Amino acid sequence: MLGEFEYLMLTAATRLGEGAYGAAIREEIAKATGRRCSIGALYTTLDRLESKGFIKTHMGDPTPQRGGRPKRMIRVTAKGVQAASEFYAAVQRVSRGVSWETNRIAIRS
Amino acid sequence: MTRFCWWLADIVSRLLEPDEREAVFGDLAESGETAGQALWGVLGLVGRRQARLWSGWQPWLMLVGAIVPLGMLLSIVSRTTADGSAIYIWMYANNWDWALTKNPGFWRVMAETAGSLFLWYLTLVCWSWTCGFVVGSVSRSMIRINGVLLYLVLLFGEAFGAPHYFAYVQQYMHRAFSVPALPDSNAAVFDVTFYREMLPLIVQVVLVAVPAIWGLSWGLSASKLPPWSRAILWTAAIATLAGMVLREPGFWILLGPPIVHAYLRPGIWLGKGLHVLQFVVYWPIAYLCASAIRRRWPRTAPV
Repeated sequence: MLGEFEYLMLTAATRLGEGAYGAAIREEIAKATGRRCSIGALYTTLDRLESKGFIKTHMGDPTPQRGGRPKRMIRVTAKGVQAASEFYAAVQRVSRGVSWETNRIAIRS
Repeated sequence: MTRFCWWLADIVSRLLEPDEREAVFGDLAESGETAGQALWGVLGLVGRRQARLWSGWQPWLMLVGAIVPLGMLLSIVSRTTADGSAIYIWMYANNWDWALTKNPGFWRVMAETAGSLFLWYLTLVCWSWTCGFVVGSVSRSMIRINGVLLYLVLLFGEAFGAPHYFAYVQQYMHRAFSVPALPDSNAAVFDVTFYREMLPLIVQVVLVAVPAIWGLSWGLSASKLPPWSRAILWTAAIATLAGMVLREPGFWILLGPPIVHAYLRPGIWLGKGLHVLQFVVYWPIAYLCASAIRRRWPRTAPV
């Protein structure tokens, strides 16, 4: 089972596709949650996801806007996609019938 | 302040893997983080990395089984070497008499003393290098933190460990062997602040800490050698460490009176075995020379 932050990272990396790397994922998470995640949390979570086989990483090319430093590129694996889907399904199941879920449905309708 | 924070972040980030360090600084540059935020972020990452590494039992075993004992042993032999050499340096430097230089015997004894001091110092350098090599060979991803820990143990050993150890050995000798508390015949030497405080520190830094860190990096690169080469190097390293333990003055005394009496019996520890160990101690010189020759003239494949 994924953790909340792991799910956020997998989702952000999947959305970014080929352009998923550290700074871009941080930006994506900040946009979605309104909070900046620390570089320490980001990289340790990346390692954890990689050791579980949910992502694969490799070093990309250096770019001028990064001071000539390379990116750590991230690709979500099929196992990662499955884990994120299961987490999302679990969140949906556990949320069924609770006040904020019913309110959200009411607001939508 | 900004430059200081970036400099500090750069220093702290050396505990990360080189690739990761590059990626992290690239991310920080791209995100436009301030120096303070960058430093905080790097500190957080390094802290998390270290916490994860120390969650296993191996680093603790390494610390308790290698870094602390080797660091303390080095501090003790470093203090012994510094104090022993202080007596001879004091004899010549603080009691120089030009009239003596006209005596041919003076030069002969001085050359012998200089040779002995050189060998003592060289032996200490080789012991330190070997300790660093052993720690470096088994550290791998923890090489940097283990280097820092070895430095800290050496610092502790120099400041507190070695002086307390020698005081304890003296007390033990007095209790166990009824050794009378005689006035220190070398008191005049150690009344001089330089010999009491400065020389041990200089010896500890120049002849222990620097060679130990040098050996640490060679130990790490030795893990890439073929198994038979590593077996030879490890045999030499273990023999050297055994020699260091045997030469440590308090070791036999603390084992208890029966062992001391056996140790003091002539011919047991002064036999050929110990003489061979004395030569094995200099294995780092042979290894460094062989590595330099190999780099200078790499073996070419037969045509």
